[in-house]
Amino acid sequence: MEAITGEFLGFLNLSWQSAVMLIISGILMWLGIARKVEPVLLVPIGVGCMLANIPLGGAAEAGGFLAILREAGIHTEIFPLLIFVGLGAMIDFEPFLQRPYTILLGAAAQFGIFGAFFLAYLLGDGWLRLLDFSLRDAASIGIIGSADGPTSIYVSTMLQSKYTAAIVVAAYSYMAMVPIIQPPIIKAMCSKEERALKMRVIVGATSKRTKILFPIVTILVVGLITPKATPLIGCLMFGNLLRECGVVERLSLAAQNELANIVTILLGITVGGMMAGMQFLRPETILVFVLGIVAFSLDTVAGVLLGKLMSVLSGRKINPMIGACGISAFPMSSRVVQKLGLEANPYNHLLMHAAGANTAGQIASVVAGGVMLMLVPIFA
Amino acid sequence: MLNALWIVLVGMVIIFAILGILLLAMILLGKLFQPSEEKKRNNS
Repeated sequence: MEAITGEFLGFLNLSWQSAVMLIISGILMWLGIARKVEPVLLVPIGVGCMLANIPLGGAAEAGGFLAILREAGIHTEIFPLLIFVGLGAMIDFEPFLQRPYTILLGAAAQFGIFGAFFLAYLLGDGWLRLLDFSLRDAASIGIIGSADGPTSIYVSTMLQSKYTAAIVVAAYSYMAMVPIIQPPIIKAMCSKEERALKMRVIVGATSKRTKILFPIVTILVVGLITPKATPLIGCLMFGNLLRECGVVERLSLAAQNELANIVTILLGITVGGMMAGMQFLRPETILVFVLGIVAFSLDTVAGVLLGKLMSVLSGRKINPMIGACGISAFPMSSRVVQKLGLEANPYNHLLMHAAGANTAGQIASVVAGGVMLMLVPIFA
Repeated sequence: MLNALWIVLVGMVIIFAILGILLLAMILLGKLFQPSEEKKRNNS
């Protein structure tokens, strides 16, 4: 009888933590399938979470297939880097190249990373010691504010945080929730007049040479100053070079489709597999999620504040709302700003301006990740 | 706690510095390699 309960009848070994995680996995799959919230990620994450919490299944334990994927793809940082190749091949940086000043909005909107990091460290080892947050954990939690899943995985893994799974799930969940998080903050900070402010339409294309040189110059500038960001920016810009150089269309399409899709499946199910109840259900996990929303909110506030300053300095030629797009969540935050602009003025089309800041935010978030990786070991 | 404050301050300064340099490089690239007149006409 003992052999039967020990090896079969998994439900007899179900702990309350595993039961809660099975419910959470169901919610994730429901959000993805029924509500269409980031289904590409939430469906694989939900399934991975379910597999990891079935007692005696062993999928996420040493030797299990999810553990092997974790070792091979997450601990080596290969999955986030490969995702970045696909992402780079998908992103058209032309809106940014037409408005290069938007890179400053991207820079400002990384403040949420550092704000949330500081708060996490104050709650942990830095001052109150209420939670088990070391400097490295706090930096990894702050990076949720990069609004970028691969960067969050890469930085939290490199810093060997105990909360990588929670950080990654929070980063992807909040990216999906950008249309809920950002509008109230933007509305509170910008009057209707400011939201209705129209921006000049930019006509004229960017030259082919500029588009080809952009990824190369970006790798050199970012890599030579923050070497720790080289793998991330290198893969992102490699993908973009495949797209723009015009001679390897087959590779560009493979990066955008086959590569990105395969790695997304593997990454999603592996991240879900890291959500084993015993490790995941801790008070710290809840705080990781709270600090994640703080990071996204501070990103938005800082971006809009710089947007307001640039609006004043430019003689009201810049709509301050586009500062909110400095957060990297592409293209969700561009759509949010476009919608708010149209609500305030039916003829106010801000999408391309917002996309400029949004793609700039993508670069800025990678730089911020590299800066964090560079500074934390120095000050730890 | 001071070390965390330093990370915040130095981090934001470095980010603005790197992206400021990138901004200058992009402006320079834009000036050096203007799109052809024909393409400009097609887009306008």
